[in-house]
Amino acid sequence: MFQAARFGLSLGRLAAALFISFVITTLILLVAGAPPLHSLVILFEGGLGSAAKVTQTIAVWIPLVLCSSALLLTFAPGLWNIGVEGQIILGAIFATGFLRPFPAGGTGLHLVGALAAGMIGGALWAYLAGVLRTWGRVHEIFGGLGLNFVALGLTLWLIFGPWRRPGVASMSGTEPLHHTLWLKGLKGLSLNPVSLALAILAIFFVIFLLRFTRWGLSLKAVGQNPEAALLFGLKPNRRILEAMVACGALAGLAGGLQVVGVYHRLLPAISSNYGYTALLVTMLASFRPHLIPPICLFFAVLNVGSIQLPLQLQLDSSLSGVIQGVLVLAVFLVHGLEEHFRLLRRKR
Amino acid sequence: MRVEFQDIHKYYGWVRANVGINLVLEPGRIYGLLGENGAGKSTLMRMLAGHTQPSKGCILFDGEVADGLNPSRALNMGVGMLYQDPLDFPALNIFENFLLGGRKQAKKQTLHRLRELGERFHFSLPPGEKVSELTVGERQQLELLRLLDLGVKVLVLDEPTTGISITQKEMLFATMRQLAKDRGRTIVFVTHKLAEVEELCEEVIVLRRGKLVAKLQSPFQSDELIKLMFGSEHEGIGKTQLRPELGKEKFLQLQNVQLLGDKYTLRDISLQIRPGEILGLAGLEGNGQELLLRGLAGLARVGKGRLIFDGEEFQGRPYLKFRQAGIHFLPAARLEHGLFPDLSLVEHFRLAFPERNGDHGQLLPEEGIKKFSIQAQLSTSARALSGGNQQRLLLALIPTQTRLLLLEHPTRGLDHGAGQQVWSHLLDRCRRDAALIFSSADLDEIKAHSHRVLVFYNRQIIADRPVHSLGVEEMGRLMAGQGRAV
Repeated sequence: MFQAARFGLSLGRLAAALFISFVITTLILLVAGAPPLHSLVILFEGGLGSAAKVTQTIAVWIPLVLCSSALLLTFAPGLWNIGVEGQIILGAIFATGFLRPFPAGGTGLHLVGALAAGMIGGALWAYLAGVLRTWGRVHEIFGGLGLNFVALGLTLWLIFGPWRRPGVASMSGTEPLHHTLWLKGLKGLSLNPVSLALAILAIFFVIFLLRFTRWGLSLKAVGQNPEAALLFGLKPNRRILEAMVACGALAGLAGGLQVVGVYHRLLPAISSNYGYTALLVTMLASFRPHLIPPICLFFAVLNVGSIQLPLQLQLDSSLSGVIQGVLVLAVFLVHGLEEHFRLLRRKR
Repeated sequence: MRVEFQDIHKYYGWVRANVGINLVLEPGRIYGLLGENGAGKSTLMRMLAGHTQPSKGCILFDGEVADGLNPSRALNMGVGMLYQDPLDFPALNIFENFLLGGRKQAKKQTLHRLRELGERFHFSLPPGEKVSELTVGERQQLELLRLLDLGVKVLVLDEPTTGISITQKEMLFATMRQLAKDRGRTIVFVTHKLAEVEELCEEVIVLRRGKLVAKLQSPFQSDELIKLMFGSEHEGIGKTQLRPELGKEKFLQLQNVQLLGDKYTLRDISLQIRPGEILGLAGLEGNGQELLLRGLAGLARVGKGRLIFDGEEFQGRPYLKFRQAGIHFLPAARLEHGLFPDLSLVEHFRLAFPERNGDHGQLLPEEGIKKFSIQAQLSTSARALSGGNQQRLLLALIPTQTRLLLLEHPTRGLDHGAGQQVWSHLLDRCRRDAALIFSSADLDEIKAHSHRVLVFYNRQIIADRPVHSLGVEEMGRLMAGQGRAV
């Protein structure tokens, strides 16, 4: 089995990886004809330069942390839950669906219901990928990827079909929720204390599960050696399904929060690719939960800061994605080189 | 080409695969390389073909030291290996396969070479035929031609007669003779089938437990070869502790059971076991012992027949039911199939004894480590344990209420002392009314500890006899298909 999350991330390796990605990013910027250092300064200022920007960054940090901690649960038994993207989307769809019957508004109880519905939606989608894996022998990467497309299609169909805005169906999404159904942020800022608390709670909950419960231990055991897990009576298939469902629920919560806390409606791009980004985060963190918050922060800064690139430098904002991807590749490269030299030394 | 092995040692962690092998192979001769599973044949040949390097010692080609061999370098120097599973591309046709693995030459020339070589050895290999449509024997012929086209001078054949027809086998043997006699190739024929060695080889090299125990000229004495391969009754584990007494009732019964494995099916197995009884399974790898053990553990499907354990009938029940009923299986590959490489000893105990979590904490693992003298800390990962300690850990993790133990090669790779410890624990269990079924490649071990022996050949049980009526040599003969079934 391919064990992605086996290697650690020491400071030395991180420094080496950061250096490599810095060099590559500089090269890319030079080719694009932009001043490399200045562009990076703009990028970071754009993410951290003012209180408003910091709160925007935190708003991105929240779904990233939720999804990354969710993915820790599926990485433990060795699963590549690429379907997390679709699980966010289903969470958003279920949350929206739950609130649609209340166009005249509602109370906090409705919001709790919407978030619970989101968790159920995400869990259901993850369960499908899990069943495909354990019973249908479809690898979770293929199953998940397929389900991501289905989820996206489902969103579009809802937005342009049954849930379209009266009169105009457009990419701008469904009819906005009644303002009493919005999860409010702090005055005028996009910082949302409830979402923030939920994200922090999620990461501690996942750490607790993986470190201190027998369930978490058996997930790791399944990832280490499924055959031995079978012999130990740990029911590997059931553990896989449970991990998927738990992961999907957290991803669905992230999707639900995007609806009630950020966009207040269902959008075609409701997931903002946070699922894929969270996969990168979890790979970088390689099984170490305490690395998730800082890495998510870094990625969130890049995401928010990159909005400034087209405004100030006529560069495309996809640069942040490039940097994120390069960073992950650099970490893998550093690990690969290290392994290579270790083998060489052993042969001597 | 003359090949010389000088004091070759090969260690895999704690396992000594080859120990101090000195051997010269002359051109124009056919050598048989004989030994039971795990004797070190494949390791030695893999070093020759550059797949792995010796831990100590060197290989010489025509008197020159060949250092740092890798597969392509070995092939360049003229060593070709024909593997049990041909290295080809089933989706492509014969010609494309020949072209891909062969010398760099024009297409037309390649086609010509393929035809010419095929005719010389009377192989019928139409260039346009898909490789996936060929039999194993034909794929082997194609591979052979490819190696010859590359100009190999030393040809190693790894158990080439498994899965090919008799005619194909005869053709293969004729080709080998032709290559050795007319073209001065050195041929090494790796096998554990005595009859084929007697038929084909001029010299035989016997390995046992990683050491070269004999190099003999033809004609060979089968009895002598068997003794060399499997050892005599008087060495090794030999006389050990007394066997446990047998209980009265038959607590495991198989009646005409059919077991469906991934690769093959075992048919019509009937046997009975009493508490305290120790049953040894003798047979060359792949002849059915593996499937019987897994079937009894609830890891294979039961097709037909009845499997009764402790008065309860088990019919296609899941593994967990077998485990709860007190059946426990320990696989041969301890780290690969039995343990979690990166989890610690404590974590293993926590997983194995869920009911004793919480209340005991560290106490249970500490007791286990002490009782089984596992030389490690509580926080040591399974990966860092020696083979002996891994096996002791697995024994420590067996639930106390286990009544039927199923072990695959319980002492493989362990030194004498560690093996003794394992057995003294197992015998202890049997004295407390557990029964034990184990397989081993070491016939002395089977002879020393079993009450009864089952011999497997050709995926059938060809003998079920009390141990005193079956000597090690006869066991060896039966396993090699040289005895009459009983």
